[in-house]
Amino acid sequence: MKLEIGNFHVEDIRFGDSTEFNDGILTINKDEALQVVKEDRHITDADIKIVKPGDQVRLVPVKEAIEPRYRMDEGPLFPGVTGNLQQVGDGMTVALKGTSVLVVGKHWGGFQDGLIDMAGEGAKYTYFSQLKNIVLVADTDEEFEKREQQKKNKALRWAGMRLAEYIGRSVSNQDPDEIEEFELDPITKRDTDTSELPGVVLVMQPQTQMEEDGYNALNYGWNANHMLPTLMHPNEVLDGAMISGSFMPCSSKWSTYDFQNFNLIKRLYEEHGETVNFLGVIMSNLNVALEQKERSAQFVANIASNLGAEAAIVAEEGYGNPDADYIACLVALEDAGIKTVGVSNEATGRDGESQPLVSLDPKADALVSTGNVSELIKLPPMETVIGELEALARDGLSGGWEDDEELGSSVKEDGSIVMENNSMFCGDGVAGWSTKTMKEF
Amino acid sequence: MSNKAVVYINQFFGQIGGEEAADHEPEVRDGVAGAAQAIAPNFDGEIVKTVICGDNYMSSNQDKAVAKILGELEDVDFDIFFAGPAFQAGRYGNACGAIGKAVKEEFNVPVVSSMNVENPGVDMFKKHIYIFPGGHSAAKMRDDAKKMAEFGNKLLNEEGPFLAEEEGFYKRGIRHQYFLPDETPAADRAIDMLLKKINGEEYQSELPIPEQDLVEIAPAIQDLSSTKIALVTSGGIVPVENPDKIQSASATRWGKYNIAGQDKLENRASNKYKTIHAGYDPAAADADPNRVVPLDALRKYQEEGRIGEIHDYFYSTVGTGTTEGEAARMGAEIAGELLEANVQAVILTST
Amino acid sequence: MVKEIERTGITVVQMANLIPVAKTVGANRMVPTISIPYPLGDPKTSEEEQWEVRYHRVGIALDALETEIEEQTVFAV
Repeated sequence: MKLEIGNFHVEDIRFGDSTEFNDGILTINKDEALQVVKEDRHITDADIKIVKPGDQVRLVPVKEAIEPRYRMDEGPLFPGVTGNLQQVGDGMTVALKGTSVLVVGKHWGGFQDGLIDMAGEGAKYTYFSQLKNIVLVADTDEEFEKREQQKKNKALRWAGMRLAEYIGRSVSNQDPDEIEEFELDPITKRDTDTSELPGVVLVMQPQTQMEEDGYNALNYGWNANHMLPTLMHPNEVLDGAMISGSFMPCSSKWSTYDFQNFNLIKRLYEEHGETVNFLGVIMSNLNVALEQKERSAQFVANIASNLGAEAAIVAEEGYGNPDADYIACLVALEDAGIKTVGVSNEATGRDGESQPLVSLDPKADALVSTGNVSELIKLPPMETVIGELEALARDGLSGGWEDDEELGSSVKEDGSIVMENNSMFCGDGVAGWSTKTMKEF
Repeated sequence: MSNKAVVYINQFFGQIGGEEAADHEPEVRDGVAGAAQAIAPNFDGEIVKTVICGDNYMSSNQDKAVAKILGELEDVDFDIFFAGPAFQAGRYGNACGAIGKAVKEEFNVPVVSSMNVENPGVDMFKKHIYIFPGGHSAAKMRDDAKKMAEFGNKLLNEEGPFLAEEEGFYKRGIRHQYFLPDETPAADRAIDMLLKKINGEEYQSELPIPEQDLVEIAPAIQDLSSTKIALVTSGGIVPVENPDKIQSASATRWGKYNIAGQDKLENRASNKYKTIHAGYDPAAADADPNRVVPLDALRKYQEEGRIGEIHDYFYSTVGTGTTEGEAARMGAEIAGELLEANVQAVILTST
Repeated sequence: MVKEIERTGITVVQMANLIPVAKTVGANRMVPTISIPYPLGDPKTSEEEQWEVRYHRVGIALDALETEIEEQTVFAV
């Protein structure tokens, strides 16, 4: 399977008469773009804004991030989600790099939504402050979940995907600045030099813990709660097979952008043929019952064993009870004789003294830690807020609160905030971005 | 403005006497006394008081000794507290830890000590105060005291953060996130660790698995039919209006709800009970809260005479993201109420 | 939480689906439940079946309270 991603480096983004890309400048026709957004009648109100690194802007509640792309065979960007099912990971997709479509609720947020500061002290807490972002800020008529803490955010997330595809189309008839190639021969057809290197699999555990449809990560449109771990080509993940769900506390979240650019996959590609033989991705999931967790771990270990994997990396999207899936998977792989490294965040509490993961095992002896979900973060007011600041306190965001005995509300009258890292948008960068670790203080 | 320190030493290092003087009552002297002199040359500031106390006096009258010292320090202006070095001396280590912890809590100043790894004071107090690894005996006085003084200077003059691995004090089980100065992303760290593990080279896990700490097992109930049982849950079942405003995650509050005379917990649709736990799909618990707090089944056993009595209240909080410290505090508060109500057994349900 | 209750000498049994988690937090008497969102009654089964499961497992929990143990113990259901 050979995937080519044709990259266009975006130097600047502006509004203009037509949506086009010239000499590094992305111009967006706002009206036309909004028409695409409003194709769904559930979108009642929408606007598009442009924010860049260094802008004095705070975004909240942020629901999703998507890299603008276009599939050169004209197929849907996210098969099974935004269009018909088709195989992805082979062929050419073009991408606008250094930018993302961010989806922000005009008013209402929820447990799974997060915050981004584009400048100042808060900017370092999320990867997305480094991107030039096309911000869709919108409201919907999804009354049933307006006051619910857990939101599916369907209309908004899907509008974001449409917008990303619409913007991606602007480069469909141009030559990219560079082409990234992702190619792996079938596992049994690799040259001797590669085959003799230690075989490595990447095990992904996206968030799939809601029993009701609409909240979980989707695999080609399929609710990944309803699947057993399966072998996937890494290109599929990079090329739109997976979309983010709408459930996990936000710093733990993998946005769709994260799937499209999964850093651990790219790094394994770099090592492929040099130090390792990258066998592929085992797409697992996260579950709500012990037996389900154990079953998934067993499937993962068995697939890895039968592929002849000598080593594995396991990445977990979440914390709390999903740590039991994570540890079970690490232990099952180690028990199968596969040398395993885990990547996830920790929950040591505001005081740093809590047990880092809810389930622990001495066999999990090689872990990369990417942050503490409950780290307390205080940030000064920001000139401009896109969305609604009050959502952080009012709507049950995982890192915000209306009233705390010691800290009061998350949102102060002067616009300054106090929050837990939990609500930093994809802040713990488990996809591989995080420059944070955990240390003993 | 010069930094001010108070130093704690025992009777021996205070030059009052050896074992025969170990019952010496605490006294607070002006300036530098006895072995506090070992701290002075490297401390960037002034030692304003030296506290001297007999090791035996401290261990057999700890509350009294601590209260007296705290009382005498109340009007003293100081920025940091040094205790020891205590080497391998167990009683001295305990004294340094006990007074150090109390001073930190009372005056909110940093406390620095030094003990040999074999000193039981290390495990007892490393969480509360900074303890540096020290020598076996006073032969190491100069080195150990120097480490304490130099770290004291850092604490007072630099911004931090102060990491155990860089500074050298015993790890305290206090873990916070930390931005790596060289900004190595997690993916690179994972690959590096993986290659080292594959090649049998040494690597360092970023999360070493801590040892487990268990409590003593409570005895079996001899006769359940005369026992009062309580239901406790971390599944977030509360009256629909959530009167105690228990948080949906990272809870710091708990509630108790009267179930006297109720055969079961009525559901959200009947406007009675629901879950506010944000860590799991609430649908099943909202539809029938007995799935989480099995009052109906327990009533049946009561009716059948299997159990004596069900406590009139059930207790509820939310387990997700709740810190160990908060969970322990809430657990202790709930346990206190249960003891007072003569509850002998508990069924704790978690989600 | 379970440790704080047990520390006072009250005999406590933890009913949890995630036994590895209950073990890690230091529960001594444990009875498995059927899932996280519905520990004691699967909504996909009939009322009667749910009641049977609940009554049965609470019964095991009562047995656990009456059983002397030497180490962390998971009671079979």
